[in-house]
Amino acid sequence: MKIFLYDDSIGEEIDIKEIAHYLGQKLSKVKVKARGTPFLFNLSPDKVSDYAKKIASTKIQEVNRKVLSGQEPLYAEIEYEKRRILGKTKAFGVLYDGFLLQSIFREIKPRVELSLEFIHIIFTNRLFATWDESNKKYHLRTSIYGIPCLVSATGIVEAPAKPKEYYLLKQQYERLGQDLSKLEDKFRGSFIDYGDKRLTEVAKGYVMQAVFYSLTGDPFCEDKGCRLYNAHWQEELIFAQLKAGYEFCQWHTKLLGEAQASLG
Amino acid sequence: MEKFSPVGEKDITHAIVSEFAKQFEEYVESDCIIIGGGPSGLMAGRNLAKTGRKILIVERNNYLGGGFWIGGYLMNKVTLRHPAERALDELGIPYREVSDGLFVADGPHACSKLIASACDNGVKFANMTVFEDLILKENGQVCGVVINWTPVSALPREITCVDPIAIESKVVIDATGHDAQVVRKLEERGFVKTKGFGAMWVERSEDLIIEHTGEVHPGLIVTGMAVSTTYGLPRMGPTFGAMLLSGEMAAGITLAKLRLRE
Repeated sequence: MKIFLYDDSIGEEIDIKEIAHYLGQKLSKVKVKARGTPFLFNLSPDKVSDYAKKIASTKIQEVNRKVLSGQEPLYAEIEYEKRRILGKTKAFGVLYDGFLLQSIFREIKPRVELSLEFIHIIFTNRLFATWDESNKKYHLRTSIYGIPCLVSATGIVEAPAKPKEYYLLKQQYERLGQDLSKLEDKFRGSFIDYGDKRLTEVAKGYVMQAVFYSLTGDPFCEDKGCRLYNAHWQEELIFAQLKAGYEFCQWHTKLLGEAQASLG
Repeated sequence: MEKFSPVGEKDITHAIVSEFAKQFEEYVESDCIIIGGGPSGLMAGRNLAKTGRKILIVERNNYLGGGFWIGGYLMNKVTLRHPAERALDELGIPYREVSDGLFVADGPHACSKLIASACDNGVKFANMTVFEDLILKENGQVCGVVINWTPVSALPREITCVDPIAIESKVVIDATGHDAQVVRKLEERGFVKTKGFGAMWVERSEDLIIEHTGEVHPGLIVTGMAVSTTYGLPRMGPTFGAMLLSGEMAAGITLAKLRLRE
């Protein structure tokens, strides 16, 4: 088994080398390699335009309207995605349909690597959401597992909810044109923010969810202290990834040991 | 006390009419027409006029400056985030850094300085004038706009049956803010499809507005909040940095287009 890690404009938010080192410790018999941009195989100008158009077409316009595959993007949307692919901009804030985005990243991968022998994990600063048919709305996601797995640094900040009081005060601050940085100071430490030094540590948990998804088909655990816990609140996220006092629950520790042995 | 010159009413009227007519005739054709005299339109016009191009800004109100006079909640302090303070430096607008990367200026001072700078560099204005339609030529190329007086458009059609007139330019800039009126007119014709606003996400919207500022259709550049409406970007909060820098970028893109044609 090989694990490939990719950097989609993640910048300094997540230290991919440290993640690779961490994975090497957890799965010493697995080859882990940081590959750089996920577009490394397809950077001809035609391919860049093609993928830029496809990615632009996955943009969510309204959270209560499902993106239809193949929707027509505008010129500047494609140009923006081109600049992103070529690493000419790191500006973010567009919301994408996560599954459609994942399918484009899948298309980029060499066919020989699209097997269970390989785990592809793309770290991105793109924010994505998935459509929930039950309430006809998109919901922000931190990660999507499959081939490839996507882990969003923006998602870690934005998807798990912050304390309720934070949103109420934010609304008030915005209406009054008050300085939002004062609000950030008030809640500092209670959620993961942009440029937060804890992002890499938190991302390790999501990487392990990707590994467990590939090994067992289930990335999550119900133990609130296990790194595989599917956190919906920042408080839960911080507890599971940073404060629990143990990395994995007994069951997943055992599974990880067994996986190590069988991979050897 | 020095006395005012003995000038009669008809002389005053003659001066107004002849000067207005002279300028109007000169600007029936210009290098660039900017629809909207808010911060992004003024900034774009100022930078273009600085290069010696003929620039006309069409503004539906009597006053220029759009929302740049006041910040959020009708309070007349305007906020900008780094790196937009460089635009303030360039315009000679005093400001204060209130927290890391956040700058505040007096709305009236900032807005009047921007208007003055546009005027000083040679921008001309058609205020109290509304944009009604676009002139489209071969392959849908935008070649000018159709305008009318604001009071005419504001009154019921039954009592103001006044035809508009057309003026031409090599490039048109949509700086109409949230309304994106020019782009929407193209949408009516089936040339583009605007996306409307995303949810307010001020932390990210400014970067994206700059990233998406540019030509949306041959001959039509979109700038400022109109970019947000056109591309469905997150709606902005009460901060103006992206307006100034988007205007600056629109000027750069327009200039490159004009140079190609020259």
